[in-house]
Amino acid sequence: MKRYNHYFFQLIAVATLLLSSCASHPDVPSSSKNTKSLPAIFPDYCNVTVPYNIAPLNFMLPADKYEACVARISTPDGQQQTYGNGVKVQIPEAEWHSMLNASKGKSLKVEVWGLKKGEWFSFIPFEIRVAKEPIDEYLSYRLIEPSYVAWTFMEIAQRNLTSFEETQIFNNEITMNDREKGQCINCHSYQNYKTNNMLFHVRLSNAGTVIVNDGKISKVNMKRNYTISSGVYPSWHPTAKLIAFSTNLTRQAFHTENANKIEVYDLASDLILYDVETDSVSVVSNDSTLLEVYPTWSPDGKHLYYCKSVPLPEEMRDKDIRTTYPKIQYNLYRRSFDVTTHNFGDEELVYDAASQDKSATLPRISPDGRYLLFAQGQYGCFHIRHNDGDIVCIQLGQENPSPLNLTNLNSEGRPDSYPSWSSNGHWVMCASRREDGNFCRVYFSYFNNGKVEKAFMLPQEDPEHNTFLLKSYNRPEFMVEPVRISVNEFSKVFDK
Amino acid sequence: MKNIRTICTFLFGVMVLLFFGLVYPHHLHYQEQYQLFLFDSTYVWEIIKQPGGIADLLGRFSTQFFLFAWVGALIIAILLSTVQILTLQLDSSWTSQAAKSSEGWLYGLSFVPSCLLWLYLLDENALLSGVWAVLITLFAAWGIAKLVRGRTRYILLIIAIPILYWIVGPVCIPFPIDSLWTGIHYYRYPTVFPVLLWAASLSVFILTLTIHICHRRINTSSSDIVTFCSFALAATCMGYLVWRCSNFKAEKVMQYDFMACHQQWNRIIETINKEKPNNQIGVTVQNLALAMHGMLLDHMFEYNQNGIAGLLPDVKTDATSPLSTAEAFYQLGMINVAQRTVFEAQEAILDFQKSGRCYKRLAQTNLINGSYEVARKYLMALQKTLFYRKWANETLVLLGNEKAIANHPEYGRLRQMAYKEDFYFSDHVTPEMLESLYFSNTDNGMAYQYLIAYYLLTGDREGLNHFNSKK
Repeated sequence: MKRYNHYFFQLIAVATLLLSSCASHPDVPSSSKNTKSLPAIFPDYCNVTVPYNIAPLNFMLPADKYEACVARISTPDGQQQTYGNGVKVQIPEAEWHSMLNASKGKSLKVEVWGLKKGEWFSFIPFEIRVAKEPIDEYLSYRLIEPSYVAWTFMEIAQRNLTSFEETQIFNNEITMNDREKGQCINCHSYQNYKTNNMLFHVRLSNAGTVIVNDGKISKVNMKRNYTISSGVYPSWHPTAKLIAFSTNLTRQAFHTENANKIEVYDLASDLILYDVETDSVSVVSNDSTLLEVYPTWSPDGKHLYYCKSVPLPEEMRDKDIRTTYPKIQYNLYRRSFDVTTHNFGDEELVYDAASQDKSATLPRISPDGRYLLFAQGQYGCFHIRHNDGDIVCIQLGQENPSPLNLTNLNSEGRPDSYPSWSSNGHWVMCASRREDGNFCRVYFSYFNNGKVEKAFMLPQEDPEHNTFLLKSYNRPEFMVEPVRISVNEFSKVFDK
Repeated sequence: MKNIRTICTFLFGVMVLLFFGLVYPHHLHYQEQYQLFLFDSTYVWEIIKQPGGIADLLGRFSTQFFLFAWVGALIIAILLSTVQILTLQLDSSWTSQAAKSSEGWLYGLSFVPSCLLWLYLLDENALLSGVWAVLITLFAAWGIAKLVRGRTRYILLIIAIPILYWIVGPVCIPFPIDSLWTGIHYYRYPTVFPVLLWAASLSVFILTLTIHICHRRINTSSSDIVTFCSFALAATCMGYLVWRCSNFKAEKVMQYDFMACHQQWNRIIETINKEKPNNQIGVTVQNLALAMHGMLLDHMFEYNQNGIAGLLPDVKTDATSPLSTAEAFYQLGMINVAQRTVFEAQEAILDFQKSGRCYKRLAQTNLINGSYEVARKYLMALQKTLFYRKWANETLVLLGNEKAIANHPEYGRLRQMAYKEDFYFSDHVTPEMLESLYFSNTDNGMAYQYLIAYYLLTGDREGLNHFNSKK
């Protein structure tokens, strides 16, 4: 009996090994029918350019069409490996990073086979080009249901882009002392991609702006009797302990038929400058007839860029904003800034979107100061809710700058917004509702000398993750290091 | 009689069953609609990794059956009866007066924890996890008492407490320390201290002690008649307390909401004819049912009205009142408004849970709007449930199938009734919104009734005349 037991366990061990090897490194089908098309993989990673330090680009074939998927990845030095587990291709991190390291500046070749009704189909192989430039190691975002007015649990999370590790920076559960009132957390921002100086807002119950100053946490209220609200959309000065904010009286209204569904608009908005060291607030711009919003500093800190609405036609000026909203358009402006005196220079028009019947928002300057990214739609300031919202990039310093070709980054007919640059200026990131029109996902594109490569979705360990996740990635921000302050440490600031 | 205690437990179980099945069924439906139990490893892990997670998981698992009130009533009856049996066993096991404590005059005391849990469950925000927590604690204590004796028993009990704490939460340590109890998923408002649940868990300890002490001093009769009388006395007290503490008003409101959710228009008319509703949800549902039968304009003033707040009230930030309003928006063909209202209601669920009812409606509104990929997301989530899976599978087939949707009795009709021109709206329903809806499709009798009713309820003759001139 003992002898049989011994054989039995040996058999089990061999079977387990075989099964596990089949699951991670399956054989390529001996015969297959050629479809002469690229595989319809999700996410679409066909012919994308990726940083050499990105997490594995796991993908899958549609589960309702295929029963299994096998992928063979070949490196430029001739090494090959196969992957496939059901319809999913999930690549171990160590193997993936070694393949990427062997392919810097070159391409990985990916061949895909799909099993449908017992027959294998092969597809046109695609490439994953591996850029020599890395991407910032961390990304933070707010995870939130694509809400209207009310909200429930929300968190600001950080994700290591070289792996699948995701941790919470903060959540609204533990500090919400008045649950009926609710607590909204939003607009996180970092100084120069680093986390030792950072902030995020908390609204309603326990309201305030949580500021980390050289690692020390405090909660401040920026509302003054001469400002219309506390600070809303922030931008840290790159070198000084100064933060430019817009102050906003924001409202929402809803469409009965329009696919945009929600309209977010400002009744009033101004710009302020907050001095972290002295806790003082000074007004930068407060034209009561116009709306100033979305400040952002140039990388050298010598200019403050922002959006400002253009005056409405005379006949529309006294009308309700709910009727005039399609006519509210923003241009991009800048003012010089003297960091020693905190004085601002005169306003300069940077990009005249309104003359093209467009509205430009959310400007971001490339780290080398040469390019300006922004979101553009036909009207308004909240393009993440506009199906015509797209990312636009212009070269600065030109008299009549013409937008670069960003068709590789933008989606067709779905909102793309919230653009930003990686710290080395080679990766452009945006939030987009392109998958279904409702749930935001994060996309990256390789940027080199004004050329943009095909965007790819933030990879997930389980490629189906984005299918099932009923939350949006909101306000994605690059970071070169993780936030090291724990949720509990942040929550203590609310006890004071 | 040999089985007097079994009979008494059985009678108690029947009392609980009949109460929740006949008197309080809509409280059970209410509980069910504010959670969505998913057969999904991530969902399960997220629950069980918290203190009290196992009890919470069992509570959520059981609550999904509340979709069928009698099944829910049966589950509660079994749980409360088991708590009573375990209390009795525990009293016997942990006192030296093994046999004596389970009969005689003191027998009725074994119903005290169950009775307190029954009272706790009368509150629509009390969650079943609390009952499971008490039951698991009792079971663990009973198991320890059965397994070992003497000093080892107490050592084992001390070892078990931290493990039990992780499984069931602070129910196993009945100290009224606020920080210990709040944040545990026993109650829909995690910041609320669940007094009755705490009292139920404390009562077990006190009872064990009381019986231990009393048996030394009182010569308890062990006759069946005395035991039964003790039960009868306890049952009478329980009945009285439960009746006094029941919220029949809330039950009625929940009934209207339930009937609207299940589109039981005839039953609503029958109900309002028996007793005219006098609460906001009841009046909203009453008007909706009248409109669905084309009777709103002719009969609305035969019933209580509450101005525009009884027709299409403003959406409030709570999880309950917007749902019946959303049903009216949906039936009118105001699909985006219905979607927003349902979404807001779901977001207002105070313990951050999701709702099967809301997911269903979000899938439907997205399907009608042609947002198939969004609808698919909600349907895929519903595929992971026990009772919404079939519906989700049937609806998934419709996605992208324009012909099938057009021929669908509900979705096809609502697509035809929907807005053709965009209208920008805020938090209040205006006659212009209804007018725009009506002129999108003049066959939309619901929109017509609601618009005229709006003018009648607000006394806006000018608006009515203006509309009539445009017709």
